[in-house]
Amino acid sequence: MSHEEAELISQCQKGDQEALKEIFDQYHKRVYRIAYGMVRQREEALDIVQEVFIKLFRSIRNFKGKSKFYTYLYRMTVNTAIDHTRRREKIPPLSLDEGKGIQLSEEVESRPDRILLHKELKEKVKEAMEKLPNDQRMALVLRGVEGLSYQEMAEAMGCSIGTVMSRLHYGRKRIQEWLKDYVELSDLRAGHMGSAPIKEENGE
Amino acid sequence: MKDSCSSISKRLEKYFDNEATDEEKSLVGKHLLSCPPCQSALTSMEGIRDLMKGPVEEAVQKEDFSWVWQKIQREIRIKERPTRWEYFLSWLDRPSLFQKRVWMPAAAAIIILVLITAQLLLKKTPSYPDPTVVVYTESQTHNVMVYESGKGMVTVIWLFEGPEKELPAS
Repeated sequence: MSHEEAELISQCQKGDQEALKEIFDQYHKRVYRIAYGMVRQREEALDIVQEVFIKLFRSIRNFKGKSKFYTYLYRMTVNTAIDHTRRREKIPPLSLDEGKGIQLSEEVESRPDRILLHKELKEKVKEAMEKLPNDQRMALVLRGVEGLSYQEMAEAMGCSIGTVMSRLHYGRKRIQEWLKDYVELSDLRAGHMGSAPIKEENGE
Repeated sequence: MKDSCSSISKRLEKYFDNEATDEEKSLVGKHLLSCPPCQSALTSMEGIRDLMKGPVEEAVQKEDFSWVWQKIQREIRIKERPTRWEYFLSWLDRPSLFQKRVWMPAAAAIIILVLITAQLLLKKTPSYPDPTVVVYTESQTHNVMVYESGKGMVTVIWLFEGPEKELPAS
């Protein structure tokens, strides 16, 4: 932890809201990425961000600096996001503005059939993610979206590195199995979809 | 898929996650050169990651978080005023108090005070029975006092007084 960050945390522990604002500025996007990756719904992800920083302000006195601050914050985010997903029975469908997709390569953009395929793929990945158990989904989000190391993930999720690897392995395996019937997995990669053949459903 | 693929699969994930050792990287790299199924597995992991990450990044870029901070600030201010009990707890939990180590002498002083007070309170004050004088006689040579001190005990005190001697004049 840098000296500046330690000072910021110390100020926040004394109830300084300006210090919390600085922490918010530094970390809110990371918290949002994790929250959005978990719930895939804008409003709920923003609720999680709000909840996390309010919780942080109220409990930061308990942070003794034994772990890295961001893993402490990630852990809080993980727990809050998991609480949210447990509270609701089903993740609501995508809102209209979420259907635009990620940036496609020029090759894909020039082919309407490929754009359709890409959108369908995104939808399939999203559905597959929703079917995953919370811990496996969280592992995939922390690694795939936020790019945490195994060690950081273990601290954030409160488990061992072995458990992290196992959750990643089974999460990926499940998604691959669910998508296997839809498309050749080797052609999944965004921007490399020129030759992606859609598997014909119902043997047609 | 080759037989060696099963032994590579775990390392392949570590390789993909950038957690492999140099030795593992070299092993997986060599294997990948000659194994299309493992190349395909690696590409599919990349594909899934990209399809997961893309919408999240897009959502982050579109969002304006300034109003989120305002909501947080409002929420904090509403509940800012602590109750007396919360204030007391926060005072106790103040790290500066522990850092200054004022607790050690304070605790020692309290313990000493308690010990002294306890000693004073618990100290047995001798309880004398209320004696009842039965007989008291005086004469020129002696005094006799008989009194009953409870439980059937009788105490007799004789006081003999010798003739007063005058001090020789110096």
